[in-house]
Amino acid sequence: MNAVLQILGLFFTAGLWQLALELGALLLLPALGGTISERSGVVNIAMEGMMLTGAFTAVVTDLVWHNALLATLAAAISGGLMALIHAVVSIRFRADQIISGFAINIFAFGLTTFLIDKMTNFQGAAHVPQAYTLPVITVPVLSNIPFLGQVLFQQNIMVYVALALLVGMNIMLFRTRLGLRIRAVGEHPQAADTAGINVYTLRYGAVIASGLLSGLGGAFLSIGINNVFLPNMTDGAGYIALAAMIFGKWKPFGAFVACMIFGIGEAIYANNSTIHISQYLLNTLPYILTIVVLAAFVGKSAAPAADGLPYEPGVE
Amino acid sequence: MTTPATSQRRPQAPIAPEIPERIQRVGKALVAPLASVLFAFAVGAIIILFSGGNPIEAYQGLFCGGLGVFCTGDTYGSVAAPYRISETLVFTTPLILTGFSVAIAFRAGLFNIGGEGQLIMGAISSAVVGIHFATWPGWLLLPATLLAGILGGAVWGGIVGVLKAYTGAHEVVTTIMLNYVAIFFLQYLVTGGPLQLPGQTQVSPPIGVGANLPKLFPQAAQVFGLPGSVYRVHTGIFIALICAGIFYFLLMRTTLGYEIRAVGQSQRAARYAGVSAQRTIVKTMLIAGAFAGLAGAIQTTGIYHNLPIGYQNDTTGFDAIGVALLGQNSAIGVILSAILFAALHVGSSVMQSNAGVPASLVAMLQGLILFSIAANFLRSMKLRLPALRQAPVGTAPLPPGVAAIETEMDSSAELDTDVKA
Repeated sequence: MNAVLQILGLFFTAGLWQLALELGALLLLPALGGTISERSGVVNIAMEGMMLTGAFTAVVTDLVWHNALLATLAAAISGGLMALIHAVVSIRFRADQIISGFAINIFAFGLTTFLIDKMTNFQGAAHVPQAYTLPVITVPVLSNIPFLGQVLFQQNIMVYVALALLVGMNIMLFRTRLGLRIRAVGEHPQAADTAGINVYTLRYGAVIASGLLSGLGGAFLSIGINNVFLPNMTDGAGYIALAAMIFGKWKPFGAFVACMIFGIGEAIYANNSTIHISQYLLNTLPYILTIVVLAAFVGKSAAPAADGLPYEPGVE
Repeated sequence: MTTPATSQRRPQAPIAPEIPERIQRVGKALVAPLASVLFAFAVGAIIILFSGGNPIEAYQGLFCGGLGVFCTGDTYGSVAAPYRISETLVFTTPLILTGFSVAIAFRAGLFNIGGEGQLIMGAISSAVVGIHFATWPGWLLLPATLLAGILGGAVWGGIVGVLKAYTGAHEVVTTIMLNYVAIFFLQYLVTGGPLQLPGQTQVSPPIGVGANLPKLFPQAAQVFGLPGSVYRVHTGIFIALICAGIFYFLLMRTTLGYEIRAVGQSQRAARYAGVSAQRTIVKTMLIAGAFAGLAGAIQTTGIYHNLPIGYQNDTTGFDAIGVALLGQNSAIGVILSAILFAALHVGSSVMQSNAGVPASLVAMLQGLILFSIAANFLRSMKLRLPALRQAPVGTAPLPPGVAAIETEMDSSAELDTDVKA
């Protein structure tokens, strides 16, 4: 009972919400990536690997050029390249998309660990000086608002980027012709093809976009929240983003809500020293919650109809 | 990954008329996995070359360190081959069992990424019984601990099956979530939880001596020039081999096996044949969990003899996905690929320490094997062959990456979308 009260007390501190938004934004980037990929009909469980690749590339680029923005750009591109492999294997070779995505995750883990071991002579970690990391932006005036100022207007630059991308993605998917086409390709590729839409181009684009977004998430992790690359440092964040996407019923704002739930869970976990309950039991809560929500509310109807099915012209 | 249906549909030129059909079939089944492994090693060699290493020396290290072969020269001359083989068998045992866990789920059209969580729950349950009833005699305690592991894993897999069958929750997400729950639960148990050994951190008390699986070699004697106590290989490998027989019999000779395969081929067709897809999915996941749980129980009774926190770095349940796919979800195939994956895993440390090539090369190789199997590059190459023959002289075939950009619009019926065997 005492522990519950302590957790409830945390909700009245701005620090908890500030951290929750930061961690939520970290998950939001790959979750948005998963959303666009699956809306186009390509199942993507490879956000984990693409994020890890981005995190690695960001640190290496930052160490060479001492420019966090350039490093972030490089991270996005590296994530996009990983996504291109997934796209080629699953669209061109019509492979099982889950196996291909899983292979990306293992391959990216192997590749980044291999390279960091080679570069650091088996030290296994590469640090970036704090001066070259992504900056925290304190918005003048607005950040002085009590409580909300700290939560909303004293955040890492990538938090703002993620929120902007969230709004942009929602408008793109549901308010533009391009979004309509992407959704059509994911729901009924045969019909879309008949209407003159190039199924393959849109799917390649959507999968690569998911890699760019996940790569951004990786950069946020390694040179925004941290200033180091460690082997397997994403530690399942890409998988959580996948769950958040499904949890949010393949909608950007739904995914955001789910990411915030995970963010709050992790922020509580980060404050565990003040709570007298096993940190490990506490840590299981977001995962159990995901299963419960998935089982109780989402069901199987929410996924795009052609999600996971390779497209073959002329085959119904 | 070629389903029997595909090979029947496609008229194929006989390899040679005098070779019996049975051998032809075995040969054909071996082509795709072997090609995948070769593909992975070839790409791996390129990566090693680019990173300034020597691929031949690296692969020699993998095979010497994993299988005790090619242990020659200055780099590997001193490696103790019998010990390396023993270590490979130690890793093969849980890989075979979790491989069956993934494979049986694949046969029903389910993707079980949860082998790791099921293995951990098996390890926890068996440790609980092994510790709690430590005073029981061995003939009772050992079966009880193994059974507890089977049950623990089955429950963890069964949850996934029930959720999938009755709510439609996708098994990929639920298994990933349950993996996390299992690992955090284990950490809780041995870090301040009820299973922590008093005065120690992050480890449980030992299980009863009667629950220890016998080692393969006498501990006191000299075995292959080394003291017998260095060999960790234990009789659990025989349990895994017995399970191979059970896996084959269950899948191929029982009604349940037929139902599992029917649901995997087509849920709708299975329904017409009077098979309840829902109940079959639950049963399949129970069995899948049981195999993985037994793997955890064997780790407890054969290797650790307690519940260590080290499972947080264990990847057996994930490697099992590669094992099942490379083994084409068959009993013999899973055994062979489990030996390969275990040898790679065990050999990687020798390769790293003696040749300076990072051990994580093995993860890359696994990823490449999976790509190659999933994409079935061989089949695509075969389909492209006529086009290549017609190409004008001097035109090099496009590499897969470039060729992929041009979207192939042939509506050949040979390109079946069904990848899962």
